[in-house]
Amino acid sequence: MSTYAAPVRVAASRLTEPRGVGLVGIFLGTLAAWLALPPLSARTLLWPILVGILAVAAGIWTVSRGAGRVGWGAVASGILGIALGSLATRSSVGHLETVVIWSALLASTLRYATPLTFAAIGGMFSERSGVVNIGLEGMMLMGSFFGIWGADKTGSWILGVLIAMVSGMMLALVHAVFCIQLRADQIVIGTAINFLALGITGYLFTDIYGARGIPANVPEIPDISLGGLKGVYFIGPIFGNLNLMIWLSFVLLILSYVVMFKTPIGLRLRAVGEHPRAADTVGISVYATRYAAVITSGGLAALGGAYLTLGFIHNFDQNITGGRGFIALAALIFGKWRPFGAFAAALLFGFSSALGDHLPDYFAPGSSVPQLFNILPYALTLIAVAGVIGRSIPPAAIGRPYVKQ
Amino acid sequence: MADDALALELRGITKKFPGVVANDRIDFDLRRGEVHALLGENGAGKSTLMNVLYGLYHPDEGEIRIGGELVSMGSPKDAIAHGIGMVHQHFMLIPVMTVAENIVLGTEPRREGAILDLGAAEKRVRELSVRYGLAVDPRARIRNISVGRQQRVEILKALYRDAEILILDEPTAVLTPQEATELFKVLRSLADEGMSIIFISHKLNEVLSIADRITVLRRGKKIETLPTKDATEAGLAKLMVGREVLLRVDKTAADPGATMLRIDDLVVADDRGLAAVRGVSLEVRAGEIVGIAGVDGNGQTELIDAITGLRRPASGRIEIAGRDLTSADARQVLDEGLGHIPEDRQARGLVLEFTLAENLALEDYRRPPDSRWGWLFPARLIARARRLLREFDVRGGGPSARAAALSGGNQQKVVIAREVGRDPRVLVAAQPTRGLDVGAIEYVHKRLIAVRDEGKAVLLISLELDEILSLSDRILVLYEGGIVGEYGPETPEEELGVAMTGGGRKVAAA
Amino acid sequence: MLATPPAPPEGEGPGETVASRFAFYQRAGGVLTPLVTTVFAFFIGGLVVLLITHKNPISTYKAIFNGTGLNWFFPWISHADRINAAFNLQSTLLLTTPLILTGLAVAFAFRAGLFNIGGQGQYAAGSIVGVWVASSLTGMSGFPHIVLAILLGSLAGAGLAGIAGFLRATVGAHEVITTIMLNWIVFWLAGWLFGQQGPLQTSRERSLTQSNDIAPNTHLHVWWGNPILQGLHVGFFIAVAMLVVYWIVLNRTTLGYEIRAVGYNPEAAGYAGIDVRRAYFLAMAISGGFAGLAGVIDVLGWKFVLSVDDVQGQAGAGAVGFLGIAVALLGRNSAVGIFFAALLFGALLNGTSDRHLDPAVFPPTLAENLTLLIQGLVLLFIGADILVIYLWRARRRVVPRKLARTSST
Repeated sequence: MSTYAAPVRVAASRLTEPRGVGLVGIFLGTLAAWLALPPLSARTLLWPILVGILAVAAGIWTVSRGAGRVGWGAVASGILGIALGSLATRSSVGHLETVVIWSALLASTLRYATPLTFAAIGGMFSERSGVVNIGLEGMMLMGSFFGIWGADKTGSWILGVLIAMVSGMMLALVHAVFCIQLRADQIVIGTAINFLALGITGYLFTDIYGARGIPANVPEIPDISLGGLKGVYFIGPIFGNLNLMIWLSFVLLILSYVVMFKTPIGLRLRAVGEHPRAADTVGISVYATRYAAVITSGGLAALGGAYLTLGFIHNFDQNITGGRGFIALAALIFGKWRPFGAFAAALLFGFSSALGDHLPDYFAPGSSVPQLFNILPYALTLIAVAGVIGRSIPPAAIGRPYVKQ
Repeated sequence: MADDALALELRGITKKFPGVVANDRIDFDLRRGEVHALLGENGAGKSTLMNVLYGLYHPDEGEIRIGGELVSMGSPKDAIAHGIGMVHQHFMLIPVMTVAENIVLGTEPRREGAILDLGAAEKRVRELSVRYGLAVDPRARIRNISVGRQQRVEILKALYRDAEILILDEPTAVLTPQEATELFKVLRSLADEGMSIIFISHKLNEVLSIADRITVLRRGKKIETLPTKDATEAGLAKLMVGREVLLRVDKTAADPGATMLRIDDLVVADDRGLAAVRGVSLEVRAGEIVGIAGVDGNGQTELIDAITGLRRPASGRIEIAGRDLTSADARQVLDEGLGHIPEDRQARGLVLEFTLAENLALEDYRRPPDSRWGWLFPARLIARARRLLREFDVRGGGPSARAAALSGGNQQKVVIAREVGRDPRVLVAAQPTRGLDVGAIEYVHKRLIAVRDEGKAVLLISLELDEILSLSDRILVLYEGGIVGEYGPETPEEELGVAMTGGGRKVAAA
Repeated sequence: MLATPPAPPEGEGPGETVASRFAFYQRAGGVLTPLVTTVFAFFIGGLVVLLITHKNPISTYKAIFNGTGLNWFFPWISHADRINAAFNLQSTLLLTTPLILTGLAVAFAFRAGLFNIGGQGQYAAGSIVGVWVASSLTGMSGFPHIVLAILLGSLAGAGLAGIAGFLRATVGAHEVITTIMLNWIVFWLAGWLFGQQGPLQTSRERSLTQSNDIAPNTHLHVWWGNPILQGLHVGFFIAVAMLVVYWIVLNRTTLGYEIRAVGYNPEAAGYAGIDVRRAYFLAMAISGGFAGLAGVIDVLGWKFVLSVDDVQGQAGAGAVGFLGIAVALLGRNSAVGIFFAALLFGALLNGTSDRHLDPAVFPPTLAENLTLLIQGLVLLFIGADILVIYLWRARRRVVPRKLARTSST
């Protein structure tokens, strides 16, 4: 296939160089602010926000492809554009109220992003080692149920979280055995994993809690109240009272970056995902590495699920993850299989969800237009994998079972 | 009983695979500081033996001694621990990673216990490359450096792990003769420093020029070990093949007719957008075989792709029988009377899961009698297949057999049957005998001559100089994307070799 | 200096593409492995029943079986039972109908070496367009209206999958990722379309987030059973006809030949002059067309209206579109296999639904989840067919064989 389009691709690649995309992002950010100003004077926040998000997306993409300065510039200009645009469109509303709305929106963004961050970073371990993991959704769901079940049975949220992790790892182990040892098709098995998780959690939930639902007194993961931040302008309302798991996700982010790119473990894991035979010939066990990576991914995805039930929604229902595992997968791809890229994408996707929650105020009561914001993450990922603005390139050996000689 | 001077001893190594005994009680020993060549045809068991030694295969029988001590190789890890390094035929390098990362992978220097110390790694790589004269930039990414450099990285990988025994599997297959000469120098100096080297090859001249001793394998068995000074090319060839080898094919002088394939000033870009073919002009006339000689990676792939319509040229012109097909796609080119025997029959020539009948229809299925208005007639496919299989003497299955079930030689016959059976004006044959046994090679060669004698134009692209010399009526040498000279069929191999490295003088086109 | 990039990691395992892997499994496993797999999955499902709920798995399965209506085929059941069984069987076949089509969708893409995991989105696209066409244009007479709805609905599915096919063909974007993304885009689009003040929201009641009802003359004819109790509509025959179409297209047309060649070996197909990109695009589009058709038929056959919850609630892995993967895999991509696999899953879905399962024997809410579990297990074991193949080979290896010689070919 590749042989057909070589000259075309040469031309196209110049247009889509990271710097170019970054510059487009900066332009879009400016546009976002300008849209709300005369003579256009957009009445709703919709347009500044949409265009601003595009700017941020372009920025993230640019950063993850190595043109840091232009990229961050685009991210900043996008955020600024949204902020200015919102100020302009809501000039009638008091300044204080705007700040309140925005800090609430950003705090909400973090809450929506966190389950995605855990699952996406989990997915990174698995996929970087060469095992496709579309079972993330199922592993998250396991964490969601077993987290709340564990907390209920043991009376401790810590044990609940641990039980959640174990449940995710168990399901991941199934994925690993079938994908690595038995060399089954990784996508088929991922689909099966999702079915299984739906069945297992649905079955147990109905059997155990069917009539009454989850009791109200299940221990929850505590919020961390930072007293010192309380009065701080803007920052206080965002970071002053976040769930412990959100802070943990920041720690995980840094830790996973270090492990993946600064340690021998990460080097080996990436080698296994790029060229397993080469890794094998220098004495690295491909199977062991992949097992460890897949099981880690299950544990992390389950953590994201546990946060969902124990730290965010405080309840469980069948299929409560509702596709978050797939969004996490999208975040991972959009972030180019890198921790910070995935995190930035998760934030962006979280922001879309938060908007879906908070925006209805801006439209006629009950309007269904905010539903459209939920499309954004998927459309952006589609664009990213399609390479319209460049390309997310997966690890070379992803999806291929390794046969030891 | 252990001999101090022996770095390595293999005794009675047997390795069976389902259906074959790849190694049959092979004995092999390696002295300290010698270059010991392992010579044999494709499939003779050379690579299997070395994979056993390197811990990638587990032998069914036999023992391995290193420095006189009995060892067992459970995995490459054990082999590395025993000081064995291996340079695989297909490099075991990770394209997206740097030279230093590739070299230290698996035995990484660390600081504070867990952090990868890339600085130390790069320093060590620099030291090694200075010491052994293997210049590479430790920070360069593998995908950005030449094949010759990549091979150096492979050798450095072994040296980094303090290898005392170095195995090189067909190391010159991907190198230019110049790079090969350089490699030989490096190997010689390594051996002088006490390194023991196993050099796997099927090329006689190479083995004679680098090895101290030569062990010949044939069909999984060790035939003989002899010092190089007692060996001759003809003698080795006989040991390798088991009978006298005919190096030339019988053919009459060519009787060229009208020009069938004409290429003018062709420029073709490779996958990365760089010009791989740079201004090639050539013509092939009816009734002659024109051979294109050259080291791999000098633009052959791109040239073939351009002629066969798989890759659009950046500039220049391609004509078949006077028709301009420069920007035609593969189907148009095939329909204009081009036959194409692709380089890799399993990957490009055949759909292995298809039946032979389906494979033989791969290019004509769209036309009557195979189909009409999009409706396929399987019975007609089978009828045609039956005729072609008989005509081209394909054995191992009828029209309904799957292609995968055939031997390599018969698979190649199927490809030839399809391409020649379409009665093309021009036949492009790329590496038509790669990986075939002697009998099959003879068949392919005779067929190509027969095609020529039927008055078709044949363009033969091969990396095997012998093949080019024995089949071609005219020889063109391709070097760095350009034709650097034209030669007759009686040209000495050495002269072509020089031209293939860019050293030849241009001869006016005949 | 021109550098050839190092050889990519070698193609490992039985085959490079989904299609060739399949061919391999099929040769190695035949019709036996799907049967063994299914029995095994049911066996484990039964163990779950036993361990967790301490109910008797055999009587549970028997109750589920009776709920499927498959006992209608038994000559010995009483007249009263037969009436009941007929009703159950109609429901089962009602569910089998879309499963055949979504199974065909997945299978057709498989044959081109593509994995269409977006059947659910294409199904939704088909339903949305179907309900839109059938609920508007009320002036049209029945038959052309139905045909139009079916055509446009199938096209919607084809178009959606076609995007994924186009992206795969032009820039090489992996269809698994793109189809998942397209699924969600459609789900949220439905939320907007049928949501409050959405463009296609019903005019009946502003708080209802659903479409208008389709015109009564676009309801598909019920040919077996009582239309009030939702007997079996003619859509079943459309689905069965599509099985035939599937076989014919693949085996008797040049397009099918191209798609199979590309599925097994895209490189060789390209060398032989087949337009690989066209094949990818068409295979995905046709595949999506099957799924879209499933969507329209369900809307015209028994749903008659589409709500936001209906579309978004099916986002989970348990829906018809996703089940199509299991159907295609269990049916080995063959027309006959797909029919029986769809029947199995249709029966399972129906037999465990609260309408058909006797709650005294087993709670239907639990049984629904049991179905999911069994589906997961079936997929798992089908995916691991190679396990069976290993055992097969291991058995053969024990037989001593004459030592063959190594030779180079």
